[in-house]
Amino acid sequence: MLMPPFELHQPKSVSEACAIAKQLMLEGDEFDWIAGGTDLIPNYKWHINSKPHVISLAAIDGLSEITMTEIGCMARLHDIAESEDVHPIVSEAASKVASSLIRRNATLGGNLCLDTRCFWFNQTEEWRSSIDWCHKCDCGTGADCRVIPNQNELCVATYQGDIAPTLMVLDARVHLIGPDGTRVMPLVEFYKLDGMTRNVLQPGEFMLKITLPDDVADWIGAYRKLRVRDSWDFPEAGAAAAWKKGDRSTLRVATTALESIPRRHDAEVSESNGDVKAICDAVYKSTKPVNNTSLPPRYRRNMIKVLIKRACEE
Amino acid sequence: MSKDYVQQAGMNKDVRVDGKRVAGKLRFNPPGSGGSRPEMAERDLEFIPELEGGNEPQPAGAHSHDSFRTGTTVGKRTPLVDANAKVTGQAWYGDDIRLPNEIIGRIVRSPYHYAKVKSIDTTKAEELPGVIAVSTGVDAPSKFGVLPVTKDEHAMAVEKVRHVGDLVACVAAIDEETARQAAALIEVEYEVLDAIHDPKKGLLDVDDPIHWRGPYHIGSTNVQKRVFQEFGDRESLEDTTKAFHNGKWKFMGVNHGFTEPHAVVAHWDSNGRLQLYTPQQVPHYAHRALATVLEVPMHQINVIRTFVGGGFGGKSDPFPHEMCAAILARKAGRPVRITFDREEVFWVNRGRHPSHIEVKINANDDAKISGFEIDALIDGGGFASFGHVTSYYNGVLATAPYELGSFHYTGARVWTNKPASGAMRGHGAVNTRCAIEVGLDDIAEKLQVDPIDLRLANLLPPHSKTITGFRITSNGMRQALERVREGSNWDEKFRKLPIGKGIGIGCGFFISGSGLPIHWDPHNFPHATVHLQIDMDGGVTVHTGAADIGQGSSTAVAQVVAEVLALPLEMVHVRSHESDTSPVDLGSYSSRVTFMNANAAIGAALEIREKLLNAAGDILDLPSDKLVLNDRRIYFKKDPTIGVSYLDALHKSQEDIGALIASGAYRTPPMGGVHKGAAAGLAPAYSFSAYVAEVEVDVDTGLIKCTDVWAAHDCGKALNPLAVEGQIIGSCHMGLGQVLSEQMVYGRTGHLQNPNFLEYKIPSVHEMPNVTPIIIESCDPEGPFGAKEAGEGPLLPILPAVVNAVYDAIGVRVNDLPLTPDKVWAAISKKMNREKIDDARDLPAPRLDFSELQKKLIKRSAEHKLRDSRRQRREDEGPYLNGVLFGLDPTLPPEEQDETWKISVKPDSSQLDNLGLAGTAWTKKEQRHMEGEK
Repeated sequence: MLMPPFELHQPKSVSEACAIAKQLMLEGDEFDWIAGGTDLIPNYKWHINSKPHVISLAAIDGLSEITMTEIGCMARLHDIAESEDVHPIVSEAASKVASSLIRRNATLGGNLCLDTRCFWFNQTEEWRSSIDWCHKCDCGTGADCRVIPNQNELCVATYQGDIAPTLMVLDARVHLIGPDGTRVMPLVEFYKLDGMTRNVLQPGEFMLKITLPDDVADWIGAYRKLRVRDSWDFPEAGAAAAWKKGDRSTLRVATTALESIPRRHDAEVSESNGDVKAICDAVYKSTKPVNNTSLPPRYRRNMIKVLIKRACEE
Repeated sequence: MSKDYVQQAGMNKDVRVDGKRVAGKLRFNPPGSGGSRPEMAERDLEFIPELEGGNEPQPAGAHSHDSFRTGTTVGKRTPLVDANAKVTGQAWYGDDIRLPNEIIGRIVRSPYHYAKVKSIDTTKAEELPGVIAVSTGVDAPSKFGVLPVTKDEHAMAVEKVRHVGDLVACVAAIDEETARQAAALIEVEYEVLDAIHDPKKGLLDVDDPIHWRGPYHIGSTNVQKRVFQEFGDRESLEDTTKAFHNGKWKFMGVNHGFTEPHAVVAHWDSNGRLQLYTPQQVPHYAHRALATVLEVPMHQINVIRTFVGGGFGGKSDPFPHEMCAAILARKAGRPVRITFDREEVFWVNRGRHPSHIEVKINANDDAKISGFEIDALIDGGGFASFGHVTSYYNGVLATAPYELGSFHYTGARVWTNKPASGAMRGHGAVNTRCAIEVGLDDIAEKLQVDPIDLRLANLLPPHSKTITGFRITSNGMRQALERVREGSNWDEKFRKLPIGKGIGIGCGFFISGSGLPIHWDPHNFPHATVHLQIDMDGGVTVHTGAADIGQGSSTAVAQVVAEVLALPLEMVHVRSHESDTSPVDLGSYSSRVTFMNANAAIGAALEIREKLLNAAGDILDLPSDKLVLNDRRIYFKKDPTIGVSYLDALHKSQEDIGALIASGAYRTPPMGGVHKGAAAGLAPAYSFSAYVAEVEVDVDTGLIKCTDVWAAHDCGKALNPLAVEGQIIGSCHMGLGQVLSEQMVYGRTGHLQNPNFLEYKIPSVHEMPNVTPIIIESCDPEGPFGAKEAGEGPLLPILPAVVNAVYDAIGVRVNDLPLTPDKVWAAISKKMNREKIDDARDLPAPRLDFSELQKKLIKRSAEHKLRDSRRQRREDEGPYLNGVLFGLDPTLPPEEQDETWKISVKPDSSQLDNLGLAGTAWTKKEQRHMEGEK
């Protein structure tokens, strides 16, 4: 497997990174950010939406902070999983990502911005040519979606990150930076329901860090992941729950790997008055996975009830 | 005698003080007799059979090779001889070959499932700077295939492409990037044809069958091979059946998942000879196919088997990409290297056939297996590969270890527009075995008996014949069952564990080498040949064609030579890589290598041994039968101090001829029945195995975790227990993949959806259970030092053991492998709905109350145990054939004593309406019998 050639930029500071991005945009050149590369490089090797320029964040100092209330975008998942300073739900989720080898390289920013996945899409170029491409990587052909044919509007590729739901239930905020300055928003508002758009990041913008509320250490909860193998596998479904110690009325629930985005289920929780079974049923009703990961969608949808129930156990 | 022998001081009590020199304390004369130890080791009595005066127990009796045991290496835990090369990264696998001036080849593959190739335009590719050679199907019109009866492959498409990924053309360029660009520039015009993906549709007549076999074509279907076999008494079945099982199974296809992708380097040397480097399990068949396709004589081709990074049957066909590399290299005049991406490995496939199997088992009042019916429809994909054999194996390899009242098998292999299925570890036996062993579990439940006792009371004894005429020699099935029962604490657990926890049993039976070679020209050629050569330095060079694919065949052959000649393993060097220097060996398939190749090696070593003994006898003036070989010395039995070093004896026998050379060969004894297909499944010996698996099932999610496996395998004699245990544990891993998570998923459009190791789910280390390997040694009379296979048979029992354990845990049977959590969950949910249970933890766990039959079975198995032990030790040498349990006289063929006993290999017209799914292939006529019909 050969990657298509690209020019690698290695800025030493955030401002230099933004300047390079701005310059490339001015010249009309497309580019990708690269952090740990464990998601991007396999996609490049398969010639999936590769770009002529890649800007690496690896040489910038100060992006790997790990504290209870702040985690930098370049923090490695291995370090998050091992750290005593990180909230236990977050480190639990980080410890379940892929394999130990991958966690050494993979970063928080990369995991949160993970490209959506679909078995019609995550294939080699030769394979994709045999299905005449797909909507998410149509190679200029205007190809249809292969999961739900005859609709050319929405990409239904699945977001399969583990950490996002845990940060959502802890009410994390994301800090974005780009040529036009910084933006801060709740993580729950970061994602956009489309497998291609994925999130609110504008061209030239990247995620700098996440921050957590000051009282986050008072919150408890769990993350539950469904997968066939206890290593390597992306979640087929995942659920995180958290509540303030001693106060179940604060319960928050979020899920991942069921749709194109991870989602926090505030409406379902409040409708159910904190009754876990009612929450499970409500989330089951409001979530509609499609057939594009290893396990069938009907099963994944049913399992979300089990995962939420287990995540909510005290 | 050497003047350098040093007398020991009398410090040690064992040291003689009468002035005689002491064996084991004698220094060899420089340059010594080789080896890194300066002194002769003492004879290791722990590894000399007790009947030869040693301490090694022989519960299964004596063996004809016993007197050649020297206690050197056989039976000892021996690291593989090529292990250092592998762990230090020095082993040279396919893609490690770098020849000067090499260029890179790339294959152009079909994007369509099934299409006619109307034209190929290579102009643009040829014009691309850096492209050296381009080739298409017209360059290689000759067909090839691993079986001479079904040659249906071309190097590249000649007329049609038969699956996505089928080869259409190839290019060679100065680097990979250019080769890829050039491949994309080749313009192919296709006419797309109607593809079939469902093997059931392969049974129907179509306009454009995937292959055409002329007068032998079956209707105009896609049936490549059909088998019908009926043996025994089926007439009274209906009246005598006490319990009946009918299991309909679906098995997804699985791939070998070896670490090393296919890679090949082809180079036409300065003399115009082809040097082809390839990680092949069966270099000889590749050699033959290359000669055919390239139209050059075999002696102008040197096939160099590189180290093989895993084979498991997936590197045993001659492959089109090997032809492509050779063709490109010939055109380019430069070495060409082709290495596959993982996706291409899946497109070449040759993995286990996706199968629809139906098993029916009848048990009578005595809990004897009166009826045994199998129907297997197997999905061959686009080419024949080993499929002709697989079609038989799916039935005939189920005819043991149990004694059957009747046997009925219908099998069909169909072509579909998928990558070709082929041979994979446990070839053809795995899926049916799973269905049968689960069927027996069900029969035991219906009869209310313990499934282990049911098996123990229905086993064929050692030295018997199966219902279809296979000759069973050694048979350790009973010990295997007893040992796993004891090891797993079965009687305390079975049907007694809480919901979600379960334990299950499964057995296995497999060939130890194929009785007939695939190629039988030239006539009566040996299956295996080994040449030995010893020059003055004392090192032994073993020339063998046996392909070490990681299973340790080089170690096994080195061990038996070292054992016979009583030399340290480091003095034996195996040369097995090149067809130029290796005698022909049929290759590493059918679990034949240890049995056949080691036998051939023993033959050669015995020839050398005799020469050495004679020479020593001459020097010592003693008759050679009074001499003993031990660690680089040959000495008088009665007085070890009277002897010569190995080197002295060697040099004496070399005086006239220089290097000592000997050759040994192995061919199978005549055996088997005369009916059509009688040769399929024939083997000079068979392995037996029994596994108990323990599982935990998450009843909410359906996720299965196999926690423990007790794995007993009868390999005759473990030449190297370390390697046998490795095979057992590895087999557990591989079989566990098929039963829990591995599957080749063909999606809605027929495309292979998971040709990568993220989505093709091989179990990780987390999924591995604790495996307790238990080696059973039944001492096969014809095996080398009693050995039989241990490479494939150990895979079989893990599947049914796990499936039965899952039933024991949750009370639900799922007949659809792999048991992915969604299927298990769906089955649990169905049961909960049916029985109106809200919480899966409230499901009833299966329980067992013994019926009266249980005592009867225990009594019968106790009697059989005596019978078997007498037969194993040859204290009873009377004939025994399948059917004796049902009252037949073992001295007469069954069909002569029972009118209702049938042997039939073709359905009669009255049976045509009542055949299973695969059996319906017999409702079609061959073209040659269809005159006047469409």
